[in-house]
Amino acid sequence: MITVLAIDALEYTLVEKFDCNNLKQKYYGKTNISEFSEPRTMVLWSSFMTGKNMEKEILAKGDKDMWNTKLDIKDTFFDQFENPKIIDLPGFSYITDQHDQERKLLKEFFDAQSEEEKGQVRVDYNNLAFEHHRKIKEEFIDVLEADHDFILGYFSVADVIGHLNFGNRTMMKMIYKDLDEIAGSMKNQFIVLSDHGMEQIGIFGDHSNYGFWSTDFKDLGNPGITDFAKIIKEMR
Amino acid sequence: MEYGEIKIPKQMISKIEARLEETGFESVDKYVTFVLEEVIKEVEDEEPEEVFSEEDEEKVKGRLRALGYLD
Ligand SMILES: [Zn+2]
Repeated sequence: MITVLAIDALEYTLVEKFDCNNLKQKYYGKTNISEFSEPRTMVLWSSFMTGKNMEKEILAKGDKDMWNTKLDIKDTFFDQFENPKIIDLPGFSYITDQHDQERKLLKEFFDAQSEEEKGQVRVDYNNLAFEHHRKIKEEFIDVLEADHDFILGYFSVADVIGHLNFGNRTMMKMIYKDLDEIAGSMKNQFIVLSDHGMEQIGIFGDHSNYGFWSTDFKDLGNPGITDFAKIIKEMR
Repeated sequence: MEYGEIKIPKQMISKIEARLEETGFESVDKYVTFVLEEVIKEVEDEEPEEVFSEEDEEKVKGRLRALGYLD
């Protein structure tokens, strides 16, 4: 069985800073996403699963509709497996209601007029993201016990929380330690992969222009996100 | 790692249990360990926390729009 921990916005420098040794595994590094004009989540994960640059195709949908992207399994490397399980991945099994709600609150935060109102929206936003994270974590742990030859668990918490709280070191550390614990509970071979990292703008977070990868079997150097379809196929 | 026991007021445990909902922690023990580590570290290296600024807000708003979050 092959498992991918797909962690949105997992930032290389924070994995180092917080000593997340389970996330690091034996080999780890940055991915190269310089072929993309911007580090957009939907573009990057779609490119990951198809093994080709999907920027043009996804951007053609527009900012609103791109979040509803649902690729056919035949266009992804997942169909190389007999019984794959893909949890909440953007562009494939994304739980759109949840993530639409998150983006709605994000917008509300910026539209709010007073600091007090912003504070309240931030609390609602954070709670929504953490609640979803706990659900996904539970589902992921259950799925690990089931009979699948490929499992991908997508964790959005570091990205969603990071956008409004990246300057809150304690909150970010809490999230990284939790993700590290999930990696620590894995019993089979796994890859950790992020679409992009995150950089600080005061209390906020912006996407950084590189991602993170780790494995326990091979130094992948500075791979592109589109290289993983081949890397994973070869692991079978 | 070896673990020991400490005593804290029951009232505080209930408070922490209520807080767990808003964190990624599954147990009071893990949460308390984390908080204590943080407090000790803070005392040791006094890293300032970032505060809200309108300038940062404008900047990140522009970035989030470019990334497709604020259609
Ligand atoms: Zn993001």
